Amino acid sequence: MRFAVPVILVLVACARGDTRDSVAAAADNRSFGVDDFQDTIKLSSIPKRIVSLNPTTTEVLFALGVGSRLVGRTQYDNWPDSARFVPNLGPGIRPNVEAVLAAKPDLVLLYASQDNRAAAERFHRAGIATAAFKVDRIEQFDRLTRLLGRLIGDSARGALVADTVKRTLDSVRIVTRALPRVTAVLPTWDQPLIVIGGGSFMSELVTIAGGRNVYDSVASPSPTVSIEDIVRRDPQVILVGPESAERVRAAQKWRAVRAAREGRLYIVDTALVLRPAVRLGEGAVSLARLLHPELARR
Amino acid sequence: MTLARWAGLVVALVVAAVAAIMVGTIHLTPRESIGALFGSGEANAVFVVRSLRLPRMMLAALIGAGLGTSGGALQGALRNPLAEPYLLGVSGGAAVGAVCAVSLHLTPALVPLAAAAGAVSAVVIALFVAHATHGRGDPRVLIMAGVVVGAFANAAIMVLLANADLSVVRGALWWMMGSAADASWSQVAWLAIYVTLGGGLLVAWGRTLDALSLGEDSAAGLGVDVERAARRIYLTASLVAAATVAAAGLVGFVGLVVPHIARRLGATGHRVVLVASALTGAFLVVAADLVARVALPPAELPLGAVTAILGVPFFLSTLRRLT
Amino acid sequence: MIEFSDVRVRYPRQQREALQGVSLSAPRAQITAVVGPNGSGKSTLVRTLLRRVDVAAGAITLDGVSITESSREAVARRVAIVTQREESAFPISVRDYVALGRLPHRGAWGRDTAQDRQAVDDALRWAEADSLRDRSVHQLSGGEWQRARFARALAQGGEAFVADEPTTFLDVAHEMTVFELLGRLARDGRAVLLVSHQLNLVARFADRLVLLHEGRVAAAGLVADVMRAEILERVYQWPVVVTRDPAVGAPALIPLRRGRGRGTTSD
Repeated sequence: MRFAVPVILVLVACARGDTRDSVAAAADNRSFGVDDFQDTIKLSSIPKRIVSLNPTTTEVLFALGVGSRLVGRTQYDNWPDSARFVPNLGPGIRPNVEAVLAAKPDLVLLYASQDNRAAAERFHRAGIATAAFKVDRIEQFDRLTRLLGRLIGDSARGALVADTVKRTLDSVRIVTRALPRVTAVLPTWDQPLIVIGGGSFMSELVTIAGGRNVYDSVASPSPTVSIEDIVRRDPQVILVGPESAERVRAAQKWRAVRAAREGRLYIVDTALVLRPAVRLGEGAVSLARLLHPELARR
Repeated sequence: MTLARWAGLVVALVVAAVAAIMVGTIHLTPRESIGALFGSGEANAVFVVRSLRLPRMMLAALIGAGLGTSGGALQGALRNPLAEPYLLGVSGGAAVGAVCAVSLHLTPALVPLAAAAGAVSAVVIALFVAHATHGRGDPRVLIMAGVVVGAFANAAIMVLLANADLSVVRGALWWMMGSAADASWSQVAWLAIYVTLGGGLLVAWGRTLDALSLGEDSAAGLGVDVERAARRIYLTASLVAAATVAAAGLVGFVGLVVPHIARRLGATGHRVVLVASALTGAFLVVAADLVARVALPPAELPLGAVTAILGVPFFLSTLRRLT
Repeated sequence: MIEFSDVRVRYPRQQREALQGVSLSAPRAQITAVVGPNGSGKSTLVRTLLRRVDVAAGAITLDGVSITESSREAVARRVAIVTQREESAFPISVRDYVALGRLPHRGAWGRDTAQDRQAVDDALRWAEADSLRDRSVHQLSGGEWQRARFARALAQGGEAFVADEPTTFLDVAHEMTVFELLGRLARDGRAVLLVSHQLNLVARFADRLVLLHEGRVAAAGLVADVMRAEILERVYQWPVVVTRDPAVGAPALIPLRRGRGRGTTSD
């Protein structure tokens, strides 16, 4: 009995050490690095009420099978169809903070634009786990998908979705590798004339699909350009969304572009290609078919 | 104005016009550009020169001529050397019209029409406000009415843009900064009609403007029906300005600065001042559009941004002459 | 030649009519002077001639023809008016400024004729402004500007000459020059209508005097008939004495110091 107290003390010390380790180990599982605002993402438990103020994250969450946990989305989140049933909380840029707080979320996902810094701050101060993401490029989408998988506690599913997209993209890349590059311009707005630049995932998709965006050397994702500059770069095809197609066909200034004069204006399915999300793979396939019609038979 | 100065003005305009055709993002030798003008040479070059640079240059010249004449006429009729074509609510009204059209996602072809409708409505409202407050052609009342309409227009634009899409805001802002980038031959045609008709009328009323610039009572003593003449001049000058705004958005400072340049060149009497202002304005805007096209490739500067820079040396020199 | 018949004018939002049935005539070859205290309606009279205010009742005629029945330009060709104040918005030359007086004769489209150029030269000489011809109107002294303004009205020609307070801001020499010019115009056959508050100068040069008081004609007629102390005291509400200056031969008005007697410093 003379050793009982020290033994008990040692045992207690070891036990406490064990608890601490397991707590620390559990805490490690819950650290997710920083978001695109350079804020640490802190989540203490698996989120059950998620507000997704970003069409990309909404799509991914549905693809991850947790669409039912969404308690808020932006007015622009229209895919998949079941997103309709998620309450619409308004805009994704400068969101309605009160509406978001009223939905009592335990995780808020934002678009990482400077306009949203104030909102992110408010959510942080309200004690809600907040993460902001910018998804301009394919690898950013890949990272986001895997991270969201971990956030919701299903890393395996996240990896599955990301890998599926990656596989589709890779297969398109292989098929088009041997084909001659088709140069393209992708105008997205008129007045001012804005095109897709090298900083956008669309440019990457065009490359994967066997083409080359004539503006891929410009770092901005959507630079403003002059029509004469487009003429100078002389793209072989013009890729536009359905609403802009008529406008480009009719406009006098586009006649100066050879591709417009020769009728090589192709309409892109903007539903597929508008944002970097789970349908990136299908987007690449559809682009490849446009750029290389001979592939359509496959 | 001496013959030499007139010749100089015309030469300057011709030089600017030729430069506007020869210079651009696509490098063409002078021979290639002249060849392209007549249809020979590489297909892209021909289209660039004929379908892009030529109509743009003509649109710019018409805008400058219209704004110069309008500004000169308003400065005379309002007896105010700081009057300018957008004074009577033209810019505010046009901006509201254009921003509405952009917000409603109407086709871009309708934006100029909406801008013109907005501008005309604003002028009519300003004239009505001045009349209802017994302004009786008092220029100060009219200027105040224009300011009131402009203030209301600004408020309306802010409300429209506050919760608008990013793309709508960008489109609206771009329009408000002025641009000749979308010049088409049909635009050139109808702007030519407005500027020649309206500008022609204003030049024809040059002597009346001379009388008005002495004051309402003095003009009345010279046989001018002051109220009717002033109203005609305000309306015509504002309509010409509204037409330029419909064609290319807001191009500031041209209408303000150009009549002063014309007077410095020696023009006296409003008939001469207005014609000289038309030529000077055409030269200035053609040159400004050229700068807008080539200053920051691959993008374009808005035309209004380039002409706004005009304001700086002008106000500085006016300040020096006052003190 | 110019005839006001029972003219009534009311400015908007004013209680009292500015002119309450004023009748006066300004015949040819005479200087008719309209005098009266501030607010008596003198300038309003000129503004009705300019058609800058609406006449509520009565008529203004030139040789019997109402001015509203002729075109404004036709009236301007017959009546030249020098208003109280004028400023040119732009620094034009005196010659160009005087040439503006020919506007009613040329219209909007007419060319500059030799007759116009002659009229401008004559006008500059008459007004003793010939030396100012190439100066900018913005660089003239008060007296020079007044001479230029007279030149412009003279270039306008016509049968009647109206001047509203033409001697404000002028020194003695320039004042006399203006009045002597008006005298010459009258002798030349024109109807001269002069609005002035310079009673004493007016008394020396005018042939007829019309005294306005609160929009009505208080007295009208020959200078001697109107320049009477009791009339003037009633209208001007100030004690005065009217003397006849031997050197000049015309009545002169001398205002007294109120409540202190005859108003010399020794009192």
